[in-house]
This record gives sequence, structure tokens and C-alpha cells, in this order.
Amino acid sequence: MPLDRDPAAPKRSAAPVSAGMRPRSRTAPLRLPAPPAAPGPGPAALRSPAVCPRAAAPAQQCAPRPQTRRVPPAAPPGPALPAPPPPRRGAARMEPPAGAELSAAWNTLSTALVPPAALGLAVPRSDAAQPLKDAELRAALDILRRYDLHSVVEEWFVEVLQMDLQANIAPEFWNGIGQHENTAEEPQCSSLLLDAFGLLRRRLDPYLNSLELLERWTEAGLLLGTGAQTLQEKVYTMFKAILFFSTTKSFQEMIQQFYGRTFRIYMRQWKKGEEGRSERESSMSEDSDPEEGGGDSALCTGCSSKREQCWCPKAMEQFQQLNDILHRLHLLERVSADAVTTILHRMIEERMEQRCRGEYERSFLNEFQEWIEKVIGWLSRVFLQDGPLARSSAEASSTLKRWRCHVRRFFYHSYASMRIEELFSIIRDFPESKPAVEDLKFCLERTNQRHQLLSSLKSALETRLLHPGVNTSDIITLYISAIKALRELDPSMIILEVACEPIRKYLRTREDTVRKIVAGLTGDAEGSDLANELSKADPVTLENGQESDDDISEPGDWVPDPVDADPGNSSSKRRSSDIISLLVSIYGSKDLFINEYRTLLADRLLHQFNYNAEREIRNVELLKLRFGEAQMHYCEVMLKDMADSRRINANIRDEEEKLPEEERPPFSLVAVILSSEFWPLLKEEKLELPEKVKEAMEAYSKKYEKLKAMRTLNWKYHLGLVDLDVELADRTLSLSVSPVHAAIILHFQTKSTWTLTELSEVLKVPVTSLKRKMTLWLQQGVLREEPQGVFTVIEEEQKDQVEKVVLIDSDEEGDSAMASQADQKEEELQLFWTYIQAMLTNLESLSLERIHSMLKMFVMTGPVVTEIDLQELQGFLHKKVRDQQLIYSGSVYRLPKNCN
Amino acid sequence: MRVRVRTWHGVASWLWVANDENCGICRMAFNGCCPDCKVPGDDCPLVWGQCSHCFHMHCILKWLNSQQVQQHCPMCRQEWKFKE
Repeated sequence: MPLDRDPAAPKRSAAPVSAGMRPRSRTAPLRLPAPPAAPGPGPAALRSPAVCPRAAAPAQQCAPRPQTRRVPPAAPPGPALPAPPPPRRGAARMEPPAGAELSAAWNTLSTALVPPAALGLAVPRSDAAQPLKDAELRAALDILRRYDLHSVVEEWFVEVLQMDLQANIAPEFWNGIGQHENTAEEPQCSSLLLDAFGLLRRRLDPYLNSLELLERWTEAGLLLGTGAQTLQEKVYTMFKAILFFSTTKSFQEMIQQFYGRTFRIYMRQWKKGEEGRSERESSMSEDSDPEEGGGDSALCTGCSSKREQCWCPKAMEQFQQLNDILHRLHLLERVSADAVTTILHRMIEERMEQRCRGEYERSFLNEFQEWIEKVIGWLSRVFLQDGPLARSSAEASSTLKRWRCHVRRFFYHSYASMRIEELFSIIRDFPESKPAVEDLKFCLERTNQRHQLLSSLKSALETRLLHPGVNTSDIITLYISAIKALRELDPSMIILEVACEPIRKYLRTREDTVRKIVAGLTGDAEGSDLANELSKADPVTLENGQESDDDISEPGDWVPDPVDADPGNSSSKRRSSDIISLLVSIYGSKDLFINEYRTLLADRLLHQFNYNAEREIRNVELLKLRFGEAQMHYCEVMLKDMADSRRINANIRDEEEKLPEEERPPFSLVAVILSSEFWPLLKEEKLELPEKVKEAMEAYSKKYEKLKAMRTLNWKYHLGLVDLDVELADRTLSLSVSPVHAAIILHFQTKSTWTLTELSEVLKVPVTSLKRKMTLWLQQGVLREEPQGVFTVIEEEQKDQVEKVVLIDSDEEGDSAMASQADQKEEELQLFWTYIQAMLTNLESLSLERIHSMLKMFVMTGPVVTEIDLQELQGFLHKKVRDQQLIYSGSVYRLPKNCN
Repeated sequence: MRVRVRTWHGVASWLWVANDENCGICRMAFNGCCPDCKVPGDDCPLVWGQCSHCFHMHCILKWLNSQQVQQHCPMCRQEWKFKE
């Protein structure tokens, strides 16, 4: 994060100094005037000490190099010199006034400001190195000021520093670091690191001291200052530029290892402190934190070396020292910020991976918030010096604030990414995963990952859900979960709308979608989501076109839709839609659902002959609230038919009981009497029942006709249920079977052996389907097939006979009494056909659109509205063309000639 | 072998014994009901005229009430008289 290196800094180490630090305009005047001509009377005077240095030099016990002496002191401004600036240590004070005075002042100053080694001088003995008093330096500076030379002091200082850094300090430092290659052990490695930095600090300390001094002088107005950048800034930038303008990989690794280690140790110590403070807390954290708290293992968790060799305290000490050094050199951000950032990111990710992945049932936000505070504690160790060196609190808190902000943001971002990645599973587990959804919502509000969420969820849905291997009911279940979860996540429902569009699209392609939804709505399973949803109070009516944006209750609560919302849908409609309305809207029409429910209801009513319609009545009432009264009218009539039938049956039975014993019918016939117009189209199957049954039915019809004048009954022989006992020689079976089965077995009463063809003739049932029906009796062990196609009653069961397993055709179970949707549609379209024929007879040829609009005008306005859309009509007409009932040419339809 | 049927649950649909499918007035099926009714059968019966045409009772009554002078069968224009 904080990368202080000037991005424009050139690669050559010397370049930054001349380009970045010293304005060219200033360099030029200094460089151009010949040294002698420079500051007024100075040159000549100055030359003297240079010429006769020898007298002074021995006195000072100094060994100045002759060749450097020759450099005219008139050019003290080091910057202009290619070699280290002229050393003029010593001699000065002995010189006569004027030039000598100046020279002496310069020497005093220069030796005080920079370490002798940088000037190419031998390192003085320790007694000579005692610091000069401030007053003396001030005096020297005053002399320079008098000669107007004080302006060059700072430039010169910078130049010397640069040279020294380039020539000596940097190589030395990197050499020290380079030894790392030979040390494999981590503790050695970190002490090496510390040594290298310690050396660096020792080398740079003199400069820093002088820097402070110069800075003080500048503040006091004694020096001119260095333009926009203060001298300090310049110097620190130079450190970074020369020392760290490029770091080696191994150095970065060292730094990272070092900080990573201390981070771990710190976290462990913190935990220990925590444990000491409160036993209860520790046991809690121990539970949740086995991998970090495990104190009994042979290895120290902090430094991961053996307990007896634990160097944690030492590491922390080193840590403190290194931070001090870096801080002193202002290199902290440059050297460690990258490493610290990397470590924090890695730690957050690791921790998240360990604790949160796959765990949706509790919220992690607070836990991590606490943990981040701990981490901030570590950061404060790095970036703020504890103790006396502490910086001003304002600066400190702002640095920490910055880091806290960064760490939190990073946490939110990666946590959100992780949850987004897992969103499919989270949705699947909803509502158990509600905490995870809430966490994600919280994070999403702080990061900009909506788009990522949408695309990731979409692709997860497509790969994991929307393929042929998944049951329709599972898709619907997941869709319902998604509705619930995403509504939690985004109350404006935009995410839901966008992300789940593929589900809706896919469901539209499945044939059994509507059936599954309707079955779910009115299903038997008590815990069914949809059934619960249906019975919720205050349902949303599925009227179209009633929504308006004005009816939002509180204007103050209004929240704009996110930018990715589809502007075509009004937000109030979106927000108010619930699970059922969303499911129903998959197909865009509720008629489909009502028809499907009708079929389902009819099936249920005709398969349960106990007339227990209470639940269905409740369902119809609930659906009426949703779909409106008019739509459910047919279903109401169906339920009424059931009630009426019961009354009529009771009536007729009463009448029968009045009859004398012998006139009573041989068995009780109970009828379900339908109002055919209101029931879905029933499947037509031919079946001839035995005489006895038909007689009973006719008798029933007679009684009905007596009861209801001018009405009669049309029996559906193949529908119904027969309770019968089959009495065989050694056993009796009690069964409930369909009329076909009953008819079959009744025929075996008169003749114990039938061939399939004979039976088929008598029953008027095609051989193939009859054969399927026979399996029931084969399975029950009442009949046997021997040889193929010949069935005989088994009067006495052979116990020893191996039981024959006969598989019942599976579609027997799913047999619906209703004609299929496709058949019904065909029937409806047949109605149009007569109109179309009439149209084409009169108008000869018509285009598809024309036919459609005419049908719309004349046919679809009737009381029984049958709708047909353009595609359906086209499909229908093309079928007619294939059947050669229609001719299609030049995009118009006409009737074939012979058809009239 | 003997098969004893205990109960036979049959399914039947009722229909009017009429010589037409739809009511000549409302064009709805006789077995359905007139546009004003919700429930067919007893609640929306048919009536026959002496001309042997039949209609939903509600339909023909409405028709007859709208006739100012004489009451005719809407189909054959004979004078309308209820059968029986």
C-alpha cells in the first residue's frame, strides 16, 4: 500500500539526486562560474590555506591526502565536484584571518556535519571525534554567512551524503543482507537482518544528527532552506532512492518471514494474556481455536521450534529493534509496508478459510472485528513506537486509522468474495444459512461486488442446477430458497430478478414445471413451503396492471433501485412480489396454473372415492384469494358436483332400501356425477362392462332420471373404483381395482380360461392395453398365463411354486383420468379450424396475421375465451398443411381446390 | 371362483335430454349454464316450449320479458307456450 518510491525515479542510482533533488536552475550558476571568480574577495584568500596546508596538518595530527588539497576551497559547494568534496579538516583554525578564517569555519562545519570517512579522511581517533559545541558551529556558520557561502551548505551536505551512500553504505548494507543466502536457520536470518540494519543505522546516524542541526538552523533563518522540499524530506527520499530503489527477492522474503513470525508470536502472546485475564474466555477461545491455542504440543506455536529452543522473546526484541531503526531512518513504510500488507492479507485469508468456509449457520463479522482489533494492536507495534519514542497521538491515530480501514476493507472484500463463491450452497441451506446471508449483505454494502455476485451466482446456477440431471421439483425448491435468501440479501429484489432469470427460463422449458408447482401448492406434505406460503394471510392478488408507483406508503422510506434494475418493471411490483406470484409468473399467465390445478383436482377427486374434499375446498378457497373468484369458478363447480353426488347417492340408496330383499341390486353402485362442461376433458377409453354391471348402471340412471327431470346420465365405464372379493377354492382376496380389472375378473367367473383375443373382443379393449391390465391379476396370483396369451384361474395356490414376480407397468400408477394438456389444446384448436375454413372459403387466401386478427375478433370474444397466440396458430396451420388440408404459398394460406 | 362386488364406484356425467347442444339464446352449452349463473343443473334448468325448442330458463324468461306484445319462440317465431 504505501509505496513511497517516486514512480518517476530513474533506475540509475545517482540520477535521482541530480534530477529529483536539485533544481537545474540552481546547479547551473554554481557550476558555471569558475571557482576563483565565485564569491567576491574569497577566492584569492581562500587559496592560501590550500597552498600551505602542511604547516597546519601535522598540528592537527591529521593525514590529509595531498591531491585533495589541491582542490580549491573556493569550491566548497560539493555538488559541483565529481570526487568527494575537499577535506579541509584541521588546519583552518590556525590560518590567518580573512581567507583563513573562512577556511577554518568551513572545516569546522564540514567535519562536524559529515563523518570523516565520507570525506575520504581516515577515521580519527576517538578523542578527536568529540562533538563540537553548538556555539562553535554557530560561529563558523556566521563566518560563512558573512561570505555569503551559507547557501551552499545544504547542497554540499546532500551531495556528500549521496556519494557516501552510493559508494560505501549501500554496498555494505546489501553485502550484509546477501549473507542470508548462506544461512538457512530462521533465527540467524533475522538476527542477520537486524545486524545489517543496525550497521546501516550506525552509518547514517551522524548524518541524521547533522540533519537535525541543519534543520534547526534553517528554522532559525540561518540557512536558506532547500525550496519546496525540506532538507529532511530530501534526505529521506534519498535513503529510499539509493538504498531501496530495487530490492532483491530474498530481501523481501526475509522481511516477510520476519514480520510473519513476529505476527504469530504477537498473536499468541496476546492470547496468553487473554487467558491469564479470564479463564472463561480462554476456554471459549480454546474451543473455537484449536489450531492456534494448542499449548501442549512439543513445538512452540509462536516460533514453531522446540519449546526449549523457543526464541519468541528474542524475536520480539528484534522486532522492536528493527522497527525502531526503520522508524529512525524513515524507512518503515518503504521496507515493511509491503510485507505487512501481504502478511495481513494472508492471515485473514487463512483464518477465513479455516473458520468460515462451509459454515453458514453463524455470523463471523463480530468475531473477525475482534480479531482485527488484535491485529491492529500488532500494527501499532510496528508503526508506532511504544514508549518514550511515541509520536504525537494525532499522527499515530491517523496511521492506525488508515491501517484499520485497510484491514477491514480487505476483510470485507475477501469475506464477501468467499460467500459469493459459496452462495449456491448458502441458498441451498437457507434458512439455516441466514447468518451467512446477513453477513454477506453487510459486506456487500461496503464493497462493490454486486456485479461479481450476479455473474458468479448465475454461472453457479447454470453449472449446478440447470441441467437435465436435476429433478424439476428440486429446481423449484432451490428457486424458492433463492427467493427467500435473496430477498433477505436485497430487499429491492433486483439480485433475485437478475440472477434467477436463468432458472425461470429453464423452468419454462420443462414440461412438468406447472404440475410440480401446483402439486406443491396444494400438496399433501404438511411442511411444504408452497402450501405454507399459500395459506399465509394477506396474499398478493395476481391481478395484472394494478401496480403504480404512487402507492408507496411512506415517501421517506423510498429507496432508489440499483442501477442494474430492469427499468421495465416497476419497483413496487418487484418488492411486493412473493414466492407464489414469482413462481406463477414464470409462465407469464395464471390460466396455465388454474388449468393445471383443475386437472390435478379432477384427478384427486376421481381417485379418492371417499368424497373427503375438505382439504380441496380449503385449497380452492386459498387459491381464490390469489387468482380471483372468477378463475376458480370451475373448481368450485367440481367440488359442488361431489357434494351433489353424495346427496343423490344417499337418495337412491334410501329408495333401494325400501325395496324387498330380492329386488335390490346385487351390489351397491355409488356414482360420481359430473357437470361435464366444468370438468377438464376426461380421457375416452372404450370398455364394455359385464351385463350385470351395465344393468345396475341403467337402473341407477333410471332412478336419477326420476330424481332430475329431463336429465340423464352418461356413464364413463372405464373410470371409477371397484371394491371386490375374489373367492377362490382356498383363499379370498379383497381388493380395490379399476373397472377394467374388475371387468376382466368378472368374466373369469363364467369361464375359467380365456385367451387374450377373446377377452379383448368381449371387453372391447385393445389387446396391447389389455395385456398390461392382466398383469395385476397375474401378480395377485389369481390368474396364470400358460401358454402365452392364455389365462387360467388358479383355484388352488401351489405353495411350492416359485413365486413369479410380475412387474406392474409403472405408468399404471401415473395414469391420469384426464386427457393430456396437448390433447386438450388440440381439441380447442379444432374449434378454430371451422372458423378458419369458413374464412378461407369466403376470402380465398389469407396471411397468418390476418387469420389471427380475425380469430381474435370473432372467436376469442366469446364467453368461453380460448386464446391462441401467433406461434400456436402457425404451428397448427402448418400441421394442417402437412395433412394436406391447407395450402401454404407466398406467405398466404388457402384451401385446396377439392376441399370445397 | 366367485367374484363378489362390494361397491362399484362409478363415474358418470349428467346431461339434459335435449335435441340440441347449445342454448339458442346465449349460445352456451345446455350442460353448462346461462351467462348469469354460476352453477349448472338444478340452479339453471332448461325449459321446453310447445314448439319443442328449449332454452335455459333464465334466457327464455329474459327474452319473453323483453317482448312487448306477443311472446314468440326466438327460434321458430311461433307463439311461445311452455310445454306442460
